[in-house]
Amino acid sequence: MSLLSVQDLAIRFSTGDGTVHAVNNVSFDIAPGEKVALVGESGSGKSQIALSIMGLLAKNAQVSGRILHEGRDLLTLSQDALNKVRAKKIAMIFQDPMSALNPYMRVGRQLTEIVELHEGLGRADARKRAIEAMEAVQIPDAKNRIDAYPHEFSGGMRQRIVIAMALICKPGLILADEPTTALDVTVQAQIMRLLDEIQSELNTAVLLITHDLGVVAGFCDRSMVLYGGRMMETAPTKDLFAAPSHPYTRGLLRAVPNINDAAGELRAIPGSPPNQLRPLTHCPFAARCVDAVEQCRSTLPELTGEATKRACLRPVEALS
Amino acid sequence: MFNYSVRRLLTAVPTILILIVFAFYLMRLAPGGPFTSEKPLPPAVMENVLKRYGMDEPLHMQLFTYIKNIVCCFDFGPSFSQKDRSVNDIIAQGFPVTLTYGFWSAVFVLVLGIPLGIIAALRHNSFWDYLMTGLAIFSQIFPNFVLAPLMVLLFTLSWGLLPGGGWNGGQWQYIVMPAIALGTSYMAGVARLTRGSLLEVLNSPFIRTARAKGLPERTILIRHALKPALLPTLTYMGPVFVYMITGSVFIDVFFSTGGIGQDFIDGAYSRDYSVLLGLAIIYCVLTFSINLVLDLLYAWIDPKVRDSL
Ligand SMILES: Nc1ncnc2c1ncn2[C@@H]1O[C@H](COP(=O)(O)OP(=O)(O)OP(=O)(O)O)[C@@H](O)[C@H]1O
Ligand SMILES: [Mg+2]
Repeated sequence: MSLLSVQDLAIRFSTGDGTVHAVNNVSFDIAPGEKVALVGESGSGKSQIALSIMGLLAKNAQVSGRILHEGRDLLTLSQDALNKVRAKKIAMIFQDPMSALNPYMRVGRQLTEIVELHEGLGRADARKRAIEAMEAVQIPDAKNRIDAYPHEFSGGMRQRIVIAMALICKPGLILADEPTTALDVTVQAQIMRLLDEIQSELNTAVLLITHDLGVVAGFCDRSMVLYGGRMMETAPTKDLFAAPSHPYTRGLLRAVPNINDAAGELRAIPGSPPNQLRPLTHCPFAARCVDAVEQCRSTLPELTGEATKRACLRPVEALS
Repeated sequence: MFNYSVRRLLTAVPTILILIVFAFYLMRLAPGGPFTSEKPLPPAVMENVLKRYGMDEPLHMQLFTYIKNIVCCFDFGPSFSQKDRSVNDIIAQGFPVTLTYGFWSAVFVLVLGIPLGIIAALRHNSFWDYLMTGLAIFSQIFPNFVLAPLMVLLFTLSWGLLPGGGWNGGQWQYIVMPAIALGTSYMAGVARLTRGSLLEVLNSPFIRTARAKGLPERTILIRHALKPALLPTLTYMGPVFVYMITGSVFIDVFFSTGGIGQDFIDGAYSRDYSVLLGLAIIYCVLTFSINLVLDLLYAWIDPKVRDSL
């Protein structure tokens, strides 16, 4: 039984230049307690998928498909009903901890208002919970730091506060949108370790959005690879790394800079991301794919398979 | 915070002194004087008059006496053009008037301008937004010397609802039109400013975070968005408020309210050095105090500013 089931999700934006097809009929499930990665390069639609689950898409967005959660379609919920899901059942960690916190409000208040709202706690109890949450994300001296303002914390500490906000109601699912991208490498590792500890303690499901495959390798049970708003491959993380079955995934893995790489060169995938102003009629990766054949430029492959699912017309054996 | 305020007040003192010196010499540099007239006074009379006002002494001595009197006895000297009235009398009579209608004008500006701006921002790109923006632009370019006669035409002459001028001890009927005439264009400015900055704040990432918490829009507006959205309005209102409570020449003349705007213009015509200087000092002190209050308000809203005080 899945906790969240995204079916045929499509997100389009109307802009002055035309319609941006940001996410094109994406489907996936997340089981309770499961750690899933959503990987893809910048602009592939990762954040928009997370935002659509939270009902936080920009005003110029049009969504279709279904996002099932506890038997209800989140896309059709009323504002009030959706507000009862947010933070309480599904929480989100945003990409940039520097701007995600309200600079004019004490961090304690930003935490307490969540439990006051969803659990009806009074000021004193809420404060106790906020301190607990700050301690859970290992903010030293939480009792005193609770009355500080965001600018009095370092980036890493702020991201811890954002994480504390996400888990203060112990939601069943956390959407973590590049939780470490804005931080330096050592802090990144600490934050990922922290997320991992908290996740196993609360058994929360996590959708980890990232373009950093190194982060995925250590953390996620399953990985989903997005390209041009289209799901390319989903597989258990181990299998994905050991035997990537999609040309794009292969390119992505090869592009990861490797310390042991004698040449030390960055092997980026040649070409540029697809033009999202046109609706998808064929594989979005075809133009950059070394294995592409004529058919790839006219047919849109479906995502098929068992444990490993892939959207590619070419059989794995035929890939170079 | 307290230390900061004290420090600010202390730095105000030399600044005001410098202002006095500048204003003093600047006025004397201008051609003419309080006792020049079409038909020159006989030299003997002139000498007496100058002596009576201490103007026979060298300039720097006059300045010194002037400052000494202010510091020791809070005495701004006699008026040069109005016999038997001191500058203290003139200010004591006119300033409460401008302070009163200026204050109510500021209340009108804020109480109407801020909510209008908020409504327009919340109804972004709707009929109400366009209506508000249109009205705001219209009244911002609508000068008060057009608005005031128009109001008198309607409220006094046509409908007989409000008196067309006078002060009458500051009864509310006499305050309404001066306050509105003085404030309307600023009210429109505040509305537009509030609308713009609230729209910007509502688009910021931390508001998205607040939405992700499941807070209702009303709570988000009041608890998260309003304070930062009002910062530009605060900046705007500082000098406007000083301007309002120090009196508008036009309002005082048109509505015959008897505020210090009237005294200012009389003083300028008759080269009444002491009245002009006294008013300039009041203006300066008010600007200082209101800027200090503003900075403390900033600090109250923005913790980063608070830390830097
Ligand atoms: N409000 C909007 N109007 C128009 N286009 C938008 C809007 N929001 C997002 N997009 C477009 O949708 C596409 C997907 O954006 P998204 O934010 O999901 O990318 P991402 O995968 O999260 O990238 P990154 O790694 O840079 O965060 C992008 O091409 C972006 O330009
Ligand atoms: Mg993103």
